[in-house]
Amino acid sequence: MFFRKSIIALTGLFLCIFLIVHLSANSILVLPEETARSLYNSYSTTLRESPLIKIVAYVLYLSIILHVVYALLITINNRKAKAKGYRVNQYKENSSWTSQNMGLLGISILLFIVVHLANFWARIKLGMGEGVGLDANGHVDVYEVTYSLFQNGYYVVFYTLLMVPLGLHLHHGLKSAFMTLGFYHKRGLRTIAKVSLVYAIIMAVGFGVIPSIVFLK
Amino acid sequence: MKVIFKIWRQENAASKGNFESYEVDGLTKDMSFLEALDHLNELLVSINKRVIAYEYDCREGICGQCGVFINGRAHGPHDHMTTCQLHMRSFEDGDTIVVEPWRASAFPIIKDLVVDRSALDNIIEKGGYISAKTGTAPEANAILVGKELADKAMDAAACIGCGACVATCKNSSASLFTAAKINHLNSLPQGKQEASKRVLEMTRQMELEGFGSCTFTGACEVECPEGISILNIAEMNARRTKAKWLG
Ligand code: HEM
Ligand code: SF4
Ligand code: FES
Repeated sequence: MFFRKSIIALTGLFLCIFLIVHLSANSILVLPEETARSLYNSYSTTLRESPLIKIVAYVLYLSIILHVVYALLITINNRKAKAKGYRVNQYKENSSWTSQNMGLLGISILLFIVVHLANFWARIKLGMGEGVGLDANGHVDVYEVTYSLFQNGYYVVFYTLLMVPLGLHLHHGLKSAFMTLGFYHKRGLRTIAKVSLVYAIIMAVGFGVIPSIVFLK
Repeated sequence: MKVIFKIWRQENAASKGNFESYEVDGLTKDMSFLEALDHLNELLVSINKRVIAYEYDCREGICGQCGVFINGRAHGPHDHMTTCQLHMRSFEDGDTIVVEPWRASAFPIIKDLVVDRSALDNIIEKGGYISAKTGTAPEANAILVGKELADKAMDAAACIGCGACVATCKNSSASLFTAAKINHLNSLPQGKQEASKRVLEMTRQMELEGFGSCTFTGACEVECPEGISILNIAEMNARRTKAKWLG
């Protein structure tokens, strides 16, 4: 269990770093139409052609799989350890709702990831569904994929709402990961708790507003 | 003062168990919670009913025997307190008070509110001690321990083994208990010789006993009567990693 928990923490932290890079890149999408299109497409072409990014991408897939599988196994084992619960339980007086529901939050994120990969990864990388054209510079027009997806209001709502569980998951997960990995410096952890909160808000709000901005373009 | 006790009754480990309600009058605000239960048991004796089984010993917050779940909180509504330190003035006249045994797969119910906490003893057997020749007490200044270290070890040593941390944890993890025992001994010179073995074996036994793993909800440190800090668990994790990879 210690091994599994450490893997959840390490992969979780790696995913947290990935999210920073991902959000930075996605913020290009809020720029004026033509700038955003050429910048985003050339960025995504550069990524796709870099062998280093290929390796990082595989580490990313593996991280998500390991994180999810071990998290589910640990959650099942933890449920078994408490076979019967209490008739009355005022757990809100001793802990946060978020910390008590990391599995549920994680499953919501998983749902998001599946839809997200179907929308982008499957279409661009696997060539499924409608073909993707080229922009004026001859780059694959990933911007157009994003733009057309967020013309659909349902997707805008889905992408925005699902950032709430992501933010909550990150708020508890980031500081929890440090303790799992054995960081026990009192003042340091207080700082990490604050950083976790700020980080979670930036991620949830950042990813959450982009679809609406694109929709309103 | 009158309250309605809603108490978990269970004949033995194998039977199903259910809640029974008892309206109890004639209590005073100054009574301790356990005295109120004693009062209820006297009433049950007088009408020839089986008394409610619950545990206690010292009734002053040091033995760790008395834990039960009261109105949704381990050891009752206050933070950092044992059941025996709880008084009826914490409740209102006419309140319903729900009393349940510690719930954890590793703590099977023996009877009513009494659970078997041998699993904690089994963890202790794997290293919650130091191997030293007994005899007359050694000269106190033979091994010097700095004040900061002594305080830290003492804070961890304050654990009374009540099991509230396990009871309140959604994963029934015994991490706070185990971490307190490990950090107490491993931070002192007397505990250093067996430090690696202790942390590896005690944490392993914790898993074998069927306790869950820690996800840092923080509930344990709030319910712990001794206020053992959850940082102890992070420190145990660090000690474990070090012992595992560096020996
Ligand atoms: C962008 C995606 C994700 C990120 C950045 C992330 C991050 C994290 C971090 C940092 C932790 C803390 C590890 C620890 O406590 O040691 C964690 C824990 C966890 N994650 Fe994720 N996670 C993500 C996706 C998911 C998904 C898709 C699931 C789906 C099932 C999931 C389920 C869990 C569970 C059950 C835990 C353990 C929770 C606990 O400590 O109670 N996570 N996550
Ligand atoms: S750590 Fe606290 S709650 Fe857990 S057994 Fe020790 S005294 Fe009780
Ligand atoms: S009876 Fe000893 S701690 Fe409560």
